[in-house]
Amino acid sequence: MGWDEFLVLWCAVWGAVALVGYGMSLAGVTKAQRTVWISGRIERVREPRHGGSRKGGISVVVSYRDPASGQQVTVTNDGERGEMITAAWEGREIGVSHPRGRPHAYRFSNSPEEPGHGLFWPGFALFLVYVGLVILAAVNWGWPWALIGFGGPWAVFAAAHLPRTVRAKNDRLARLAAMDTVQGRVVAVLKDVSVDQDDGHTWTTITPVVSFTTRDGTAVTAHCTSHLADPADAYGRDVTVHHTPADPADFTLDRAAEHRSEGQDVTFNVLVILVLAATAVAGVVML
Amino acid sequence: MTITAGKPRTHNAPADLALGFLTGGVIGVSLTAFIGGCVVEKAPLIIIGLVLPAVYGFLFFLSTLPRRAREAAVVPRTALAVIESLEAVGGETSDVPVRFELSVAPDDAPAFRVEIRQDINLVELPDYRPRGVVVVEYPPDRPWKTRIVKRPTPEWEERAAVALVNSVPGPAMKSDSPVGCAGGLLTLFGLLLGAAAVLLLFRADLFYSYEGESGPSRRPSVSSSSSTTVVTSAMGTVTLGPGQSMLDEGELRKAVQSLTQGANKRRALTVVVQDRLLTVVFAPTGVEASGFDPRSLPYDRVPGLVEEARTGVGSPRSWQLTADGVTGSLTLRVVVTGDGGTETLEADGLGKVLRRSGS
Repeated sequence: MGWDEFLVLWCAVWGAVALVGYGMSLAGVTKAQRTVWISGRIERVREPRHGGSRKGGISVVVSYRDPASGQQVTVTNDGERGEMITAAWEGREIGVSHPRGRPHAYRFSNSPEEPGHGLFWPGFALFLVYVGLVILAAVNWGWPWALIGFGGPWAVFAAAHLPRTVRAKNDRLARLAAMDTVQGRVVAVLKDVSVDQDDGHTWTTITPVVSFTTRDGTAVTAHCTSHLADPADAYGRDVTVHHTPADPADFTLDRAAEHRSEGQDVTFNVLVILVLAATAVAGVVML
Repeated sequence: MTITAGKPRTHNAPADLALGFLTGGVIGVSLTAFIGGCVVEKAPLIIIGLVLPAVYGFLFFLSTLPRRAREAAVVPRTALAVIESLEAVGGETSDVPVRFELSVAPDDAPAFRVEIRQDINLVELPDYRPRGVVVVEYPPDRPWKTRIVKRPTPEWEERAAVALVNSVPGPAMKSDSPVGCAGGLLTLFGLLLGAAAVLLLFRADLFYSYEGESGPSRRPSVSSSSSTTVVTSAMGTVTLGPGQSMLDEGELRKAVQSLTQGANKRRALTVVVQDRLLTVVFAPTGVEASGFDPRSLPYDRVPGLVEEARTGVGSPRSWQLTADGVTGSLTLRVVVTGDGGTETLEADGLGKVLRRSGS
């Protein structure tokens, strides 16, 4: 078997996988479609212990109504329970999901989610078909086709999403301008130490935890991983917190820095489009 | 009373050993095939190296799917437990592995004693002390998989704060039996066997090609991925790769040309051709007049001569053509050996049959 046959087989196998995946989605039997999606409410927030671990996120007690039995269920985020809760306050709505018939395998998400169609893996299989086709074209017709095949479609894709990026930037800037400013305090600094098994190098992750109360009296506890100088020694420090009134999880300690980074995001997007387009043009020229 | 829900799986179960051996074999085959394929630039070997682990992983995933689905469907049971003893068993990270011996007292099942290992954060370690009551969770069919619930619900937290849990006598069931060295050795053996299998099955591709390619620095040879050419001052040989034959159209002419190109335009004393091997004995420098030009052989007639000699030897096993020019005139001798004996055929320099004999 040569490269040609292998690549054809590659495309055929992943194409079949994609077809099966889309078929399952149409039939409504994908994992996402067999998942029960519920909205839960944080009932209690346990304050992190200074020096503890960030693993598992902020310890919370969540209650939700089980759609099958109609009973109120109380659970915690102990162990592997989906998305890490990094901002919590009593009364916060979060997403709870579990496979149909297995409520004990519940998982959290930071916001209540709409049921998905399970199209991620079929889409990924289709992406692998595309990669195989581009390589096949490069093998048979010359390597410039690899530049055209990868640069062209992605440049178009990135260009099509540029307006959305600009819109998101404008929305974000508007939210930053409308933020409330309150005083907060670093109530804990979490420390996680891991050791690289290969070279024995020690990695330390420092996660300050900030607590603040919004103007409407909501006490928020949240991980704060940016815009805090000397985080390892931040325990007990008073900080100024800017947060979106409707969603205290959207907060920052440095509004100006956030403002600058939004502009950089759009510049980066444009640069990526230019590089991809230049790659595709170079491929065409080299044919 | 000790629970009788089942016994923990041991690492030395024959199935585990066989799986370790098979996994080692797959790793050995795929690694050797991939590296070997990259070195000799053989696409099939590289593809085997890539596809085999993927297929093995997929089959492993499929074969373990029912067991995993069965285990996932079991609703874990929450219970109170008392810590009989605990011991930190090393660790340089902020989460240290701790060996716990627990007496677990479920509400609606017999109590049992279990030994587990669980990572505990250094800051939280003082919360766990002997005779302390904790909340645990375990699958009822595998109680040795018990784990301490670090963040219990308020209801269980309150129960643990006021409850008294009695010790359970007797030996503790363990979550993991010690891993024997037999499993590791068997995996290593599988790995070596897999690597050896690839080296043996593809020796022609791996060694002959590699030998030829590394040759120029040590000996005057040239090779391609399908044949190996070795030229010295006295003789030259061409070895074809698997699946090729000197009887293939143009193959013999190409092989002779590869020995006589450039500075090697020398006369030959003898040319010996076998199915995948060509050997040319060159005339010594200074007495070249006694030999013949190996390019002058009647290449187009060779397959016909061999075919003609094959008749009458039953199922042929091997053949050899010898072109001899020592005596001055070029003669070709074809010898075919088969189940029915040996057939010899002699022809002149133009490929015209002069005589034949059989035994």
